[in-house]
Amino acid sequence: MFEVAVIASLLSGGLCGLLGYYAQRFNIVTLSFSVAHAALAGASLALVIKSDVTYSALMFAIFFALGMGIISTRISPYERELISMGFFSLFNAIAIFMVYMSTSYVLSTVSISVVLWGSILAITKSKLILLAGITAIFMLYLFIFKPQIDSILFDRKLAEAEGIDVDLHTIVLLLFIGIAIAFTLRLTGGFLVFTLLYNPVASAMQLVRKAQWQQVLAPTIGMLAALLGLTFSYILDWPVGATIAIISSTILMVAYITRTIINMKLSRAARRA
Amino acid sequence: MGVIQGEAIRLSDVWVAYSGSGRPAIKEINLKVDYNSLILITGPNGAGKTTLIETCLGLLKPIRGEAFLLGINTKSRKVIKARRECSYVPQDFMKPSYESYTVRHVIKLGLAINACLFGLSELKVKKRILNIARMLQIEDLLDRPIGTLSGGQQQKVYIARALVREPKVLFLDEPFSSIDEESRHVIAKVVHEYVHRKEACALVVSHDVDPIIDFSDIIIHMDNGKITSIEVN
Repeated sequence: MFEVAVIASLLSGGLCGLLGYYAQRFNIVTLSFSVAHAALAGASLALVIKSDVTYSALMFAIFFALGMGIISTRISPYERELISMGFFSLFNAIAIFMVYMSTSYVLSTVSISVVLWGSILAITKSKLILLAGITAIFMLYLFIFKPQIDSILFDRKLAEAEGIDVDLHTIVLLLFIGIAIAFTLRLTGGFLVFTLLYNPVASAMQLVRKAQWQQVLAPTIGMLAALLGLTFSYILDWPVGATIAIISSTILMVAYITRTIINMKLSRAARRA
Repeated sequence: MGVIQGEAIRLSDVWVAYSGSGRPAIKEINLKVDYNSLILITGPNGAGKTTLIETCLGLLKPIRGEAFLLGINTKSRKVIKARRECSYVPQDFMKPSYESYTVRHVIKLGLAINACLFGLSELKVKKRILNIARMLQIEDLLDRPIGTLSGGQQQKVYIARALVREPKVLFLDEPFSSIDEESRHVIAKVVHEYVHRKEACALVVSHDVDPIIDFSDIIIHMDNGKITSIEVN
């Protein structure tokens, strides 16, 4: 069981780290947080209607990603942020409400831990295969559309002016985020899953300035955080999601302090020169 | 390439306003642009020049009237396909010093839409990039990261990226703002030759009319969001 969890943590951490990099470069971080919480609301609903947590989360995340993806092509980035934050709060409220409405039987099962703090036990071989499949499809998508995606990353407006369907690529990216989150949720829990999306790319941006390096470093940090979090949680019997979040936040803090020290040294050297 | 029939751009009583703004940025615009022409759009700051070319490209949608790019209404999603036949050099082009894409890669990104499956061969792409770089005298910059170049050099790279696509319509927004006098002449000549050799058209927004005015077929003056005059050169 632990081996399955190790592979799942590496896949989840790597995939979420990579998706987080693209979410950040596509300027859809807030929107991706809302998608993560849509998955949480879906997972929580599963507690009440007694269905599979992952598939319920997947449905919510996909429908919300698709809906918001389409709406966001017709509104300004400011309006998109505003609406995303509104949904972010709404989905949290739905999640709490659903947990409140759950029967005492459900509250004593592993399902509740999946929604709240994640569980090593919740990762089955079939879910792991699906997660590996999603990772492979995303890598294939990146490989096929690399020139177009690179063009968007370099200059979004210019890419749009040159006939690249920026809106469609944004919707596809949101869908991948929704799917990845629905599967990762079993490991980290719904409330903390977005830390694996944001913290690795934020850390990578502190440590290296070149986009190409950030692209490699973000999934690497994601994998490291997920693996270390899982290991500590196993040894110390801590909740796995919270442990992964603590590790990834610690990496972010260390990266930030390192960047601050480097910047101070560079400023000092510039003054001397 | 044979002579292309029809008009490249048509705007009929077009009004455009930015979201949240009470007044239109451009109004009462009627314009027809044919192939085989180089058009200079000039006027003071805030005249609506950039808004006009972004409307032609369909990046901004009219609140009144209709705009057509290569015969396609810019309000339609099909305008994405029309844009594949166009190139754009934006006004705000400068990349930060840590931007590590090489000049060669940036120019190649202009061909990104052709890069899938049955696109151009790698050899053809290399040849095209080298030819354009030679024409614009940036051959020696090809392997340098774009962030390390000066404003003028970066601007030339964007013009190279625009030309490598061999567009039917070329939109250049203040393409000479950071470029020295000698290079301006070279670029104006290259654009002029391209337009007439390929039976394409170019819309060039420029404050500074020298030397592009000598190569322009039509000069459009704008002020306060309106076209105030159209001169045939």
